[in-house]
Formats: sequence, C-alpha cells, structure tokens
Amino acid sequence: MKAAPFAYVRPATLDDAVAELVRSAGEGKVLAGGQSLVPILAMRLARPSTVVDIGALSELDFVRREGNELVVGALVRQRTLEGHPLAAEVPLLLLALPWIGHRELRSRGTVCGSIAHADPAAELPAVACCLGASLEIAGPAGRRTVAAAEFFHGAMATSVGAEDVLAAVRFPVAGSGEGFGFAEIARRHGDFALAGVATRFRAGDGEAVLTAFGVSDRPVTRDVTGLGDDEVADLARGLVDTAGDTHGSREYRQRLVAALAVRELARARRAAEGGSA
Amino acid sequence: MTSPPPLPRPVRAEAGEPLDVTMTVNGTEVSLSLPARVTLADALRDHLGLTGTHLGCEHGVCGMCTVLVNGSAARACLLFACQLDGADIVTVEGLGRPDDLHPLQEAFGAHHALQCGFCTPGFLLSSYDLLAHKPDVAEEDLPVELSGVLCRCTGYRNILSAVSEVAGAHRDGIPGPRNCGRHVLMGHTAAEPGAKSAPEPVGVREIELPQGDPTFTVEVTQELTASLEKTWAVLDDIDLVAACLPGAELTEHLGDEKYRGRARVSVGPIRLSFVGLAQVTERDAAAHRLRVIGQGEDAGGGRTQADILLVAEEAGAGTRLRATAQVYLTGRIAQFGRALAGDVSRRMFEQFAAAVEETAVSGVRTTARKPPGALALLAATLVAKAREWGRRLRRAEHNPPTHPKGTQR
Repeated sequence: MKAAPFAYVRPATLDDAVAELVRSAGEGKVLAGGQSLVPILAMRLARPSTVVDIGALSELDFVRREGNELVVGALVRQRTLEGHPLAAEVPLLLLALPWIGHRELRSRGTVCGSIAHADPAAELPAVACCLGASLEIAGPAGRRTVAAAEFFHGAMATSVGAEDVLAAVRFPVAGSGEGFGFAEIARRHGDFALAGVATRFRAGDGEAVLTAFGVSDRPVTRDVTGLGDDEVADLARGLVDTAGDTHGSREYRQRLVAALAVRELARARRAAEGGSA
Repeated sequence: MTSPPPLPRPVRAEAGEPLDVTMTVNGTEVSLSLPARVTLADALRDHLGLTGTHLGCEHGVCGMCTVLVNGSAARACLLFACQLDGADIVTVEGLGRPDDLHPLQEAFGAHHALQCGFCTPGFLLSSYDLLAHKPDVAEEDLPVELSGVLCRCTGYRNILSAVSEVAGAHRDGIPGPRNCGRHVLMGHTAAEPGAKSAPEPVGVREIELPQGDPTFTVEVTQELTASLEKTWAVLDDIDLVAACLPGAELTEHLGDEKYRGRARVSVGPIRLSFVGLAQVTERDAAAHRLRVIGQGEDAGGGRTQADILLVAEEAGAGTRLRATAQVYLTGRIAQFGRALAGDVSRRMFEQFAAAVEETAVSGVRTTARKPPGALALLAATLVAKAREWGRRLRRAEHNPPTHPKGTQR
C-alpha cells in the first residue's frame, strides 16, 4: 500500500504553513507525526493534493508552563511529553499517554496531532475534554482559542478548518487536592479503545468529572459531583451512543464504560484525598 | 538525554517530483533523491538495499518495519523519507555484524526467539529501544512493552525470554549498535519507480573507500614461473592488469592514475555488470607493490568497492604473486552468500594470476577475455567447498565438539 502522489511542502514558519493550506484550496492536509495520517494515505482513504509538513516549524516545538497552564506546541511528540519534567504538572496526561498505541507510534505521534485528528476512540481528546483544555488554532484570519468542549464536532471533525493549523494545546495544571483516573479496554494493548474513561476529582468541594470515549462520535464529559457508584454507572451506560460492531455489542460497551467509570472515579478520589493531606 | 535532532530544512516539491534527503543510516551519511510519498521503509529497502527492514502491513499495525529514528523505535512504514532530512536512522543491519552480534541478537539465537525470522528485525529494534530507555524494566511488563511488534508464528515466549535475559545482564544500559560506521550505501536514485533505472555513475570522479570492516577479505598467493621482472612489467601496465582481470575492461584513462572501466561477473543465474572507477594509490617498482582501489555500481542496485594490494616477490627462478583484497558489498549483491562471494572472488584472483603468468611469459597482451565462465567458476567454488566440508567432517569425527549447546565459539 503506497500513498498516491502528492505535492509536498515543508514551510519554515506557521504563517507560511497557513498560506500553503490557503493556496491548496481545501485540498491540503497538515502532516506532523503522521501516525494517523500516513495509514489513511497508504490505504488511499485520503488523497490530498498537498501535504503541508509542519516538521520544520521550530516555533511550535515547545513545552512550557504559562500561569496555570501547560502549553504544548504542535511539534511535541507524545513520547517527548511522556518524559518531560513539566508533564507531572498535568497528572492525567501521564496516566493517559502510555495508552496511546505503542512506544514506536508515540516516538513520532504528536500531542496536538492526535487531538486534531479527533478519532472518537483516541485518548488525548478525552484528556483535553476532561481537563477543560483549550486549543490554539492558527488560520488565515489569525489566531483563535477554542475550548475543548466546543472543539470536537463529531468523528474526526473539529474546529480546525481546512486552512487552519492546530498550533498548541493548553492543559490546566492540576491544583492541590486534585486526583485523576484513566483506563480503557481494547482488544489488544495499543488498539483503539472499545470504551475508555478519564476522570477528575477535587478533594475540597468534591467536584467530580467523567469523560467517556470510544462510545460516541466524540468524547462525552459529564459532571458527576455527588453521585453514588450506582448513579455513576447508570449515567455512564447512558453515554454509549453507538451500535455494536464486530468487536463488541452496544450492551458490552455499556458494561465496560460503567465499570471503568466507577473504578476510575474511585481512583481519582483516592489520589485526591491521598494527595491533599 | 541527548540533544534534540535538528529540524529538517524547508522544501517544496510538486507531486512525483523528487526531493533531496540527507540522513545518516547506520552511521553513514546518505543522500537520496525521491518523491515525497516514498516511505522510509521503501527508501531503506529499495533505494539503499537494506532489506533487513521488513514490511508487513504497511500501515503501522504489525511493527515489522521498526527501526530507530534519532534513537527511538519508530515505524518505518509510517514515515515519509523526506520528513527525515537530517535524521539518524539505525536498522537491523547496524545493530551487529555476523561475527560480532549484538547481545540481543545473541540472545535471540540462544533462546530460539526467531522462528521464521520475519519479525526479528522489528523485535530486535523495539527491544533495543525499550532497554536503552528503560533498563530497569520489570519482566512482567515485557509483554505489554513489546506488544508493538507482532510475531505470526507466535514465538513470543522465546522472544520475551531473550529480552528478559539481556535486560537482566545489562541493567546499567544496553550496549550500543555495533555496526554503525562508514558503509557503502547506494544513493541518488531514480525519481519514480519505473521512471528510469538507476543512473550510471558516469559523473563520479572520486573514489570513497569505506571505513570499517570489509564484507570479506581475500588473500591469494600464487607461484608463477615467469620472472619477477616480467611479472612486474605486467603489473606496471594498467592496461595489461585490466586485461588479465576476468571480465574487466578499461574504458577511459582519466589521468592522475584514475581509470574508468567495466566489469562483468556471472555466476550461475547471477549476472552483474559493474561500471566504475579504479585508482592506483601505490606503485612501488622497487618493492614490486601495486595498490589499486576501485568501486563499481551495478544497474541492479548493488555496489562493490575493493582495496587490492598486489605484491610480487622473487621465488627461486619464478615469482610469488600475493594478492590481498578487501571487498565491500552493498545492495542486493550483498544478499548473495558472503562465503560464496569470497570463494568466487578467490577464483577470480586465481584466474587473474594465471593470466598475469601467461602475459608475462608470452610478453604479449592476451586477447580480450570473456567474463569468468559461470559454470567453471561455480564448479570450482563448489568443488573447493566440498573439499573443505570433507576436511571439517573428518576433523569433527576425530574431535567431536565438546562446547555446550548455544555457544558458538
């Protein structure tokens, strides 16, 4: 399987990258890590006229703390962030990153690329939603920032338009007394999840948030503050918005997500209470 | 940690238009010219002749094509070669040498962790990456850590044992790749597959001899009846030397002791036609020493380089001719059994010595030679092999091996 021929551009600045996308009139595609895009090209499910490789945009190669946010540029690879000293400021990231594919894919796959690709079963979109991250998009009209809750429109559809580049993601840094949980069930380690959850709990006011993924066309986030286990399980079951497929029926996914939700909320709570003296 | 790899240079290419890519592969810098859609896996296999990187699914699932990119394992089928301008790549060919295997390779052999061998390169580089970054990995984590590569004959148990053993033996860090030096690698390939075959390197004017170990070394000593003087007269005349080399033909004198030529070799169904350069780097009439380095490229994607030293010395009334050649092979030609390639080269030197003798004795340039007869060469080689096996067998009968299973030396 080989990709169909495409024009290839590797611009030196983000502005040039946007200009190239404008020039390719909706037929361009951004390439960063390529771990989701290249298989699609190889199978010829996508045949962009132009691939805009952002691999030379040094301005997007950064991980830095800005106020209460950890800002991750579009060139940062998943494995780089996994080993980055600042990643500990966002514990949910460290819980979720090892679930992404395999080491070999995380070596090249980027954090922003996974979010921009918006596979419904992907881990990082769920992390972004659970934490209420915000996404920095560069487009022909300049920069704009979109909240994760508004960013995902559907399966592989986001606020990133055909002429836009997702330049960075801003994750809120964990406050004191916050704990997190993350888990997914896949047929095999590294496969896309049949169902997965990301959770967050705050010890002080008991705020609890649940994000389910792999069960709908986008991550679904609910405030579950004050709910008991049975209520959480019921709520989680209701988030499954997909018919069954060869890998698992709708009912199977409902059981998975309910069990994961209860378990990972408990984990988040333990972490929060253990960490808040 | 090491400093981050350099970012690639900005470029632009229309669909199908070749891009220039320079990267380091197993320690050797290579320049390629290929369209953007060519993956790293295809560039390694088809353009550099490094077929140790296997391809299975070609969309990132099976892990056969796993190589090291800037020190971390990555899928070569999910990377376009053009993205890797300036990158450092290590393939299974760079991990170890046949005579100096990497500990992981040794362990895979000892644990029978390579059943059909197809997944082996991927597993070796994936486990190398794991142990290089996580030398303290727990044994129970190995199945998950190595799940990025699939083995179709389900040899996982043995693979895990092999990796576990190496992990235990190298908690302070796994030894680095053992075969990363300057190698001969093909470069500058055609734009699109099928567009045109590899260009003849007619513009090449410099010979670059690789460093590191040759693919094989041939040493031949032949007693000639011709006098030392007459023998040296042949060696001192490059046209005569070329005429004595089976299948070789000198096509151009470039001056400065450089020559362009052609060489044809055929062994069984294998027919190789090299075009290339030769340069006399040492010509010592007093010591009767002649040193020639040469390089040739075959249209089929093979490259050979050789450093040849010819020394003639007096031996009674005649001459003893010693030839030492260090031969470096890459590309498809290197797939050809190394031992056999060495034997064929030895035959060629014996034929060369016989031709030198004939020319020296007769004093005339011998008529244009045919390329070494395929059957004759192969027959002579096989006869020699059979004799050697016979000898080994007899030795083995007298001295049954006592070393334990699994050790090689």
